[in-house]
Amino acid sequence: MTTTLLIIHGLCAVFMLGALTHQALSVWWPATAGGRSVFHSFRAVRGAAYADTVVVLYTLTATLGAVVYPAYRISIRVFLEDLRLNAANGVFELKEHIVAVGLGLLPAYWYYWRQPLADGDALARKAVTALLAAIVWYSFLVGHVLNSIRGLGP
Amino acid sequence: MKAARVFPVFSIAFAVLYVLAMENNWALFTYFARAREFHWLVVAPPTPRMGPAMYWYGWLATSALGAGVVATAAALLRADRAAGMWRGLSWAVPLAAIAVLVFLLRGWFIRMT
Repeated sequence: MTTTLLIIHGLCAVFMLGALTHQALSVWWPATAGGRSVFHSFRAVRGAAYADTVVVLYTLTATLGAVVYPAYRISIRVFLEDLRLNAANGVFELKEHIVAVGLGLLPAYWYYWRQPLADGDALARKAVTALLAAIVWYSFLVGHVLNSIRGLGP
Repeated sequence: MKAARVFPVFSIAFAVLYVLAMENNWALFTYFARAREFHWLVVAPPTPRMGPAMYWYGWLATSALGAGVVATAAALLRADRAAGMWRGLSWAVPLAAIAVLVFLLRGWFIRMT
Protein backbone atom coordinates (compact mmCIF):
# COMPACT_ATOMS: atom_id res chain seq x y z
CA MET A 1 0.00 0.00 0.00
CA THR A 2 2.79 2.43 0.92
CA THR A 3 4.59 1.68 -2.34
CA THR A 4 1.41 2.35 -4.34
CA LEU A 5 0.86 5.65 -2.54
CA LEU A 6 4.52 6.56 -3.08
CA ILE A 7 4.18 5.97 -6.83
CA ILE A 8 0.99 8.08 -6.98
CA HIS A 9 2.80 10.74 -4.92
CA GLY A 10 5.62 10.71 -7.49
CA LEU A 11 3.23 10.89 -10.45
CA CYS A 12 1.40 13.88 -8.94
CA ALA A 13 4.80 15.53 -8.42
CA VAL A 14 5.67 14.97 -12.10
CA PHE A 15 2.42 16.61 -13.25
CA MET A 16 2.99 19.53 -10.89
CA LEU A 17 6.60 19.89 -11.97
CA GLY A 18 5.49 20.20 -15.60
CA ALA A 19 2.71 22.66 -14.82
CA LEU A 20 4.87 24.89 -12.61
CA THR A 21 7.84 24.85 -14.99
CA HIS A 22 5.61 25.85 -17.94
CA GLN A 23 4.03 28.56 -15.82
CA ALA A 24 7.28 29.91 -14.36
CA LEU A 25 8.94 30.13 -17.78
CA SER A 26 5.85 31.72 -19.33
CA VAL A 27 5.92 34.49 -16.75
CA TRP A 28 9.71 35.02 -16.52
CA TRP A 29 10.53 34.50 -20.20
CA PRO A 30 7.33 35.20 -22.15
CA ALA A 31 7.12 33.85 -25.67
CA THR A 32 7.40 36.39 -28.44
CA ALA A 33 5.29 36.43 -31.57
CA GLY A 34 6.40 34.23 -34.42
CA GLY A 35 8.67 31.82 -32.57
CA ARG A 36 8.49 28.22 -33.69
CA SER A 37 11.08 26.37 -31.61
CA VAL A 38 10.20 23.81 -28.96
CA PHE A 39 11.45 26.22 -26.27
CA HIS A 40 9.17 28.90 -27.60
CA SER A 41 6.22 26.51 -27.51
CA PHE A 42 7.12 25.49 -23.96
CA ARG A 43 6.86 29.12 -22.83
CA ALA A 44 3.85 30.02 -24.94
CA VAL A 45 1.25 28.86 -22.45
CA ARG A 46 -1.48 30.77 -20.63
CA GLY A 47 0.01 30.64 -17.15
CA ALA A 48 -3.17 31.57 -15.31
CA ALA A 49 -4.81 28.37 -16.56
CA TYR A 50 -2.38 26.32 -14.45
CA ALA A 51 -2.88 28.07 -11.09
CA ASP A 52 -5.86 26.13 -9.71
CA THR A 53 -4.37 22.85 -10.92
CA VAL A 54 -1.05 23.61 -9.24
CA VAL A 55 -2.81 24.39 -5.93
CA VAL A 56 -4.76 21.11 -6.08
CA LEU A 57 -1.73 19.06 -7.16
CA TYR A 58 0.54 20.59 -4.51
CA THR A 59 -2.01 19.91 -1.78
CA LEU A 60 -2.60 16.37 -3.04
CA THR A 61 1.10 15.60 -3.41
CA ALA A 62 1.93 17.00 0.04
CA THR A 63 -0.97 15.05 1.58
CA LEU A 64 0.20 11.81 -0.01
CA GLY A 65 3.73 12.57 1.15
CA ALA A 66 2.41 13.12 4.68
CA VAL A 67 0.61 9.77 4.54
CA VAL A 68 3.74 7.82 3.54
CA TYR A 69 6.05 9.88 5.77
CA PRO A 70 5.66 7.61 8.86
CA ALA A 71 6.93 4.64 6.82
CA TYR A 72 10.01 6.70 5.95
CA ARG A 73 10.48 7.78 9.56
CA ILE A 74 10.30 4.24 10.92
CA SER A 75 12.39 2.36 8.41
CA ILE A 76 14.17 4.47 5.77
CA ARG A 77 15.56 7.12 8.10
CA VAL A 78 16.88 4.45 10.45
CA PHE A 79 18.50 2.72 7.49
CA LEU A 80 20.18 5.97 6.43
CA GLU A 81 21.33 6.61 10.00
CA ASP A 82 22.82 3.12 10.20
CA LEU A 83 24.81 3.86 7.06
CA ARG A 84 25.77 7.28 8.48
CA LEU A 85 24.35 8.99 5.41
CA ASN A 86 23.86 12.26 7.24
CA ALA A 87 23.66 14.40 4.13
CA ALA A 88 20.93 12.16 2.70
CA ASN A 89 18.95 12.49 5.92
CA GLY A 90 19.62 16.22 5.94
CA VAL A 91 18.34 16.88 2.43
CA PHE A 92 15.14 15.01 3.32
CA GLU A 93 14.74 16.97 6.57
CA LEU A 94 15.10 20.14 4.54
CA LYS A 95 12.58 18.83 2.02
CA GLU A 96 9.89 18.33 4.65
CA HIS A 97 10.41 21.86 5.94
CA ILE A 98 10.47 23.67 2.61
CA VAL A 99 7.44 21.69 1.44
CA ALA A 100 5.70 23.05 4.55
CA VAL A 101 6.73 26.61 3.62
CA GLY A 102 5.39 25.91 0.11
CA LEU A 103 2.06 24.79 1.55
CA GLY A 104 1.80 28.09 3.38
CA LEU A 105 2.75 29.93 0.19
CA LEU A 106 -0.20 28.51 -1.79
CA PRO A 107 -2.77 31.15 -0.72
CA ALA A 108 -0.45 33.98 -1.88
CA TYR A 109 0.36 32.08 -5.08
CA TRP A 110 -3.34 31.61 -5.83
CA TYR A 111 -4.08 35.26 -5.00
CA TYR A 112 -1.40 36.62 -7.35
CA TRP A 113 -2.62 34.38 -10.19
CA ARG A 114 -6.22 35.52 -9.97
CA GLN A 115 -7.54 37.35 -12.98
CA PRO A 116 -7.21 40.18 -13.81
CA LEU A 117 -3.77 40.95 -12.39
CA ALA A 118 -3.86 44.02 -10.15
CA ASP A 119 -1.48 46.91 -10.80
CA GLY A 120 1.87 46.28 -9.14
CA ASP A 121 1.34 42.55 -8.57
CA ALA A 122 3.42 41.36 -11.54
CA LEU A 123 6.70 41.00 -9.62
CA ALA A 124 4.98 39.24 -6.71
CA ARG A 125 3.38 36.80 -9.17
CA LYS A 126 6.73 36.07 -10.81
CA ALA A 127 8.62 35.71 -7.52
CA VAL A 128 6.03 33.50 -5.79
CA THR A 129 5.80 31.26 -8.87
CA ALA A 130 9.59 30.92 -9.12
CA LEU A 131 9.86 30.14 -5.41
CA LEU A 132 7.16 27.48 -5.60
CA ALA A 133 8.77 25.99 -8.72
CA ALA A 134 12.15 25.84 -6.94
CA ILE A 135 10.54 24.13 -3.93
CA VAL A 136 8.88 21.53 -6.15
CA TRP A 137 12.05 20.89 -8.17
CA TYR A 138 14.15 20.46 -5.02
CA SER A 139 11.57 18.17 -3.41
CA PHE A 140 11.19 16.07 -6.53
CA LEU A 141 14.92 15.57 -6.96
CA VAL A 142 15.48 14.75 -3.27
CA GLY A 143 12.60 12.28 -3.26
CA HIS A 144 13.92 10.63 -6.40
CA VAL A 145 17.49 10.36 -5.09
CA LEU A 146 16.37 8.94 -1.73
CA ASN A 147 14.20 6.37 -3.50
CA SER A 148 17.25 5.35 -5.46
CA ILE A 149 19.31 4.98 -2.27
CA ARG A 150 16.84 2.77 -0.47
CA GLY A 151 14.76 1.43 -3.33
CA LEU A 152 11.03 0.81 -3.40
CA GLY A 153 9.19 -1.76 -1.35
CA PRO A 154 9.70 -3.20 2.14
CA MET B 1 -13.31 38.11 -3.31
CA LYS B 2 -12.39 40.57 -0.56
CA ALA B 3 -11.23 37.94 1.95
CA ALA B 4 -8.61 36.80 -0.55
CA ARG B 5 -6.79 40.13 -0.12
CA VAL B 6 -5.28 38.84 3.12
CA PHE B 7 -4.06 35.57 1.55
CA PRO B 8 -0.53 37.03 1.20
CA VAL B 9 -0.65 37.92 4.92
CA PHE B 10 -1.48 34.26 5.68
CA SER B 11 1.54 33.10 3.64
CA ILE B 12 3.90 35.54 5.35
CA ALA B 13 2.66 34.62 8.84
CA PHE B 14 2.77 30.90 8.04
CA ALA B 15 6.45 31.03 7.00
CA VAL B 16 7.45 32.90 10.17
CA LEU B 17 5.36 30.72 12.46
CA TYR B 18 6.59 27.51 10.86
CA VAL B 19 10.24 28.37 11.52
CA LEU B 20 9.38 29.34 15.11
CA ALA B 21 7.29 26.20 15.63
CA MET B 22 10.02 23.97 14.25
CA GLU B 23 12.85 25.61 16.20
CA ASN B 24 10.92 25.74 19.51
CA ASN B 25 8.95 22.53 18.96
CA TRP B 26 5.53 24.17 19.24
CA ALA B 27 3.60 21.18 17.93
CA LEU B 28 -0.17 21.26 18.31
CA PHE B 29 -0.07 17.47 18.44
CA THR B 30 2.40 14.60 18.31
CA TYR B 31 2.09 11.48 16.18
CA PHE B 32 3.60 8.14 17.08
CA ALA B 33 4.03 6.34 13.79
CA ARG B 34 4.60 2.84 15.13
CA ALA B 35 1.69 2.95 17.58
CA ARG B 36 -0.42 5.04 15.13
CA GLU B 37 -1.51 7.35 17.93
CA PHE B 38 -2.06 11.10 18.08
CA HIS B 39 -1.52 13.03 21.31
CA TRP B 40 -2.24 16.69 21.96
CA LEU B 41 0.79 19.02 22.21
CA VAL B 42 4.38 17.84 22.52
CA VAL B 43 4.75 14.37 23.98
CA ALA B 44 7.94 12.34 24.28
CA PRO B 45 7.61 8.60 23.52
CA PRO B 46 6.57 7.02 26.83
CA THR B 47 7.94 3.62 25.81
CA PRO B 48 10.40 2.56 23.08
CA ARG B 49 7.60 0.47 21.57
CA MET B 50 5.77 3.66 20.58
CA GLY B 51 8.54 4.41 18.09
CA PRO B 52 9.81 7.90 17.28
CA ALA B 53 7.63 10.92 18.00
CA MET B 54 6.72 12.88 14.85
CA TYR B 55 6.12 16.58 15.38
CA TRP B 56 6.00 17.77 11.75
CA TYR B 57 2.23 17.41 11.45
CA GLY B 58 1.84 19.34 14.70
CA TRP B 59 4.11 22.15 13.48
CA LEU B 60 2.01 22.43 10.31
CA ALA B 61 -1.17 22.63 12.38
CA THR B 62 0.31 25.23 14.73
CA SER B 63 1.49 27.37 11.81
CA ALA B 64 -1.78 27.08 9.88
CA LEU B 65 -3.83 27.94 12.94
CA GLY B 66 -1.60 30.88 13.87
CA ALA B 67 -1.48 32.19 10.30
CA GLY B 68 -5.27 31.91 10.12
CA VAL B 69 -5.58 34.05 13.25
CA VAL B 70 -3.10 36.62 11.89
CA ALA B 71 -4.88 36.77 8.51
CA THR B 72 -8.26 37.16 10.20
CA ALA B 73 -6.90 39.96 12.37
CA ALA B 74 -5.42 41.59 9.27
CA ALA B 75 -8.82 41.42 7.55
CA LEU B 76 -10.57 42.96 10.56
CA LEU B 77 -7.96 45.71 10.81
CA ARG B 78 -8.21 46.36 7.06
CA ALA B 79 -4.51 45.59 6.74
CA ASP B 80 -5.19 44.71 3.09
CA ARG B 81 -4.84 48.45 2.44
CA ALA B 82 -1.10 47.88 2.82
CA ALA B 83 -1.13 45.57 -0.21
CA GLY B 84 2.08 47.12 -1.52
CA MET B 85 3.99 45.95 1.54
CA TRP B 86 2.42 42.46 1.55
CA ARG B 87 3.23 41.85 -2.10
CA GLY B 88 6.95 42.32 -1.43
CA LEU B 89 6.96 40.34 1.79
CA SER B 90 4.84 37.50 0.36
CA TRP B 91 7.84 36.01 -1.40
CA ALA B 92 10.72 37.59 0.54
CA VAL B 93 9.65 36.20 3.93
CA PRO B 94 9.17 32.57 2.73
CA LEU B 95 12.50 32.82 0.92
CA ALA B 96 14.16 34.10 4.11
CA ALA B 97 12.42 31.33 6.09
CA ILE B 98 13.98 28.73 3.79
CA ALA B 99 17.41 30.33 4.30
CA VAL B 100 16.91 30.16 8.08
CA LEU B 101 15.83 26.50 7.81
CA VAL B 102 18.98 25.68 5.83
CA PHE B 103 21.04 27.37 8.55
CA LEU B 104 19.22 25.51 11.35
CA LEU B 105 19.75 22.18 9.60
CA ARG B 106 23.41 22.79 8.80
CA GLY B 107 24.41 20.14 11.35
CA TRP B 108 23.35 17.44 8.87
CA PHE B 109 25.86 18.65 6.30
CA ILE B 110 28.82 20.01 8.20
CA ARG B 111 30.62 18.72 11.24
CA MET B 112 30.14 21.25 14.04
CA THR B 113 32.54 21.47 16.95
